Amino acid sequence: MTTTNHSTVAGGLASLQTHFEVQQFYYREAELLDDGRYADWLTLLADDLDYWMPTRTNRLRRQQALATAARGEAAFYDESKESLAWRIRRFDSGMAWAEDPPSRTRHLVTNVVARHVDPDDNAGFAADDLAVRSAFIVYRNRLEREENIFAGSRDDILRRSDEGFQVARRVILLDQNVLLSKNISTFF
Amino acid sequence: MRRNIDVSGLVDHEGGLLDRAVFTDHSIYAQEMRRVFAPSWLFLAHTDQFKKPGDFFATFMGEDPVLVTLTREKKLKAFLNSCRHRGARVCRADFGQTRNFTCSYHGWSYDLDGKLVSVPNEAGYPESFERDDWGLVEVPHIETYNGLIFGTWNPSPIPLRESLGDMAWYMDAMLDHDDDGTEVVGGIHKWVLDGNWKLAAEQFATDWYHVNMSHASALMVMSPTGKGPRDEIVHRTGRQYVDPNGHGAGFPVHTKNRFDAKTVHDHTDYTALRERLGDARVEGPLTNGHATVFPNFSYLPVNGSIRIWHPKGPDKMEVWAWTIVDKCWPDEVKQAQRLYNLRTFGPSGIFEQDDGENWSECQAIAAGFITNGVALNYQMGLGSEREDGRYPGTTSELYSDAAGRSFYARWRTLMNTPAWHEGDAR
Repeated sequence: MTTTNHSTVAGGLASLQTHFEVQQFYYREAELLDDGRYADWLTLLADDLDYWMPTRTNRLRRQQALATAARGEAAFYDESKESLAWRIRRFDSGMAWAEDPPSRTRHLVTNVVARHVDPDDNAGFAADDLAVRSAFIVYRNRLEREENIFAGSRDDILRRSDEGFQVARRVILLDQNVLLSKNISTFF
Repeated sequence: MRRNIDVSGLVDHEGGLLDRAVFTDHSIYAQEMRRVFAPSWLFLAHTDQFKKPGDFFATFMGEDPVLVTLTREKKLKAFLNSCRHRGARVCRADFGQTRNFTCSYHGWSYDLDGKLVSVPNEAGYPESFERDDWGLVEVPHIETYNGLIFGTWNPSPIPLRESLGDMAWYMDAMLDHDDDGTEVVGGIHKWVLDGNWKLAAEQFATDWYHVNMSHASALMVMSPTGKGPRDEIVHRTGRQYVDPNGHGAGFPVHTKNRFDAKTVHDHTDYTALRERLGDARVEGPLTNGHATVFPNFSYLPVNGSIRIWHPKGPDKMEVWAWTIVDKCWPDEVKQAQRLYNLRTFGPSGIFEQDDGENWSECQAIAAGFITNGVALNYQMGLGSEREDGRYPGTTSELYSDAAGRSFYARWRTLMNTPAWHEGDAR
């Protein structure tokens, strides 16, 4: 497999090969989350990670532009790699009762559109890095009969490193207003 | 059909026993809406959500949808969010800014004072039709306390401040750090829980006991070593305020109590707070602790979390949680408090996740016929209630069910008292 043949037009669609690599990266990530291997999942995240999942509101149509909470407002996640590591240490404490016994989850990732980053719009990134939009459905079954479905979109910036991709930016939009579950005990 | 149930046998507040039917029975729930929620002061919103005339916010009082508005005269008002014509909600946005609320069914339109201002094909109505008779149903009383807006359907309520009693002294430890008061972080966490609203409300009134077990994992990662809280954390002592109107607040007492978020702690001038609030409050309810204003408003001072437990049937609630910060804090301090709160409380928070699990667990099995008849134990600290000379009103130990017993005693009294809307009927 050659790695020098990327089409790297800023803002352009990724090549077939790159698209395949991105998909495989997401499937690997989903597998780690579904297997509860959060510490391993953490290694897929860049040290300068910005991981944000804002709340969403019902607004009058003329105020629709405000229907996603702004930075600094209420969010389900507003995390750095360090704060995610903190959350993950809790899961691994053996006393995180909300996940004991553990839930069963399935992360499905689809509708992947991968483009090369335009460095003019994204300081600190190169055209070799990728701006990827995807859609997800996360199914959770807890204890006997509890079920939740989390559906939404992710806007990522994946940075290429020697070890493969790392998630450097992730904006998660959950397609819900009132969160229709008793908690969020997984990641997206 | 309205059949009022005498709940005396379900609450033994002197013996510390509670029948689980209070969490499961549909008739009891319907009676709560009539006799607990309708007559009580209910939390609506924070005053900071209303800056300009036309700002509005949609919420619930019990299960009734209401709209809170700031009128052109900058007066706070609240109305039933239901068109007088066919009953649809006249506003389906969570909050925003508007001049009128127009029902999207037939177009009846109401202004910020709830007045009916426009009726399509008005000529089709009889001459006796007067728009003034068909305004939105107004919540008769709105009062505020240090930034918190409460409303009640009760036509002749005890004033809010009076109904808070000594609880106000404890609330001020969070709301009154200086003359500027508090403001809200934009947006609200809203989520659902399969549990009766009282499971959460009573826990915030009375329950420090669960912290060491339920939140063991969170305490561990927050401890300086990462290995677990020091003994002095686990074996904390403190007080629990027991209000005769069902409010409750508990807090560890220590001379070195502090805000958990480091940036907030570093910024805080504890000396100035001691001058304003007194040593007892700074060493107690200023930071760590929990509280409920009866029936369903609760808060956590160290997180700046204020929340309401909206009842949605006997076995469901919807939690709405705001983060409040001191208006005078610099932006980085406000942001630090916001991040600390969302990482600890709120649906993804490392504490809140486990609370949700507990409440849904208690609810899930409570309806079993045999289970339902097995009373629950609220006996911790029985007889410990006293006046300690330092904290106002009656207080108990940090680890105690005293405020829980008082919460259910108040609930029992209201449940067995006909409300204004019942006349003399029993």
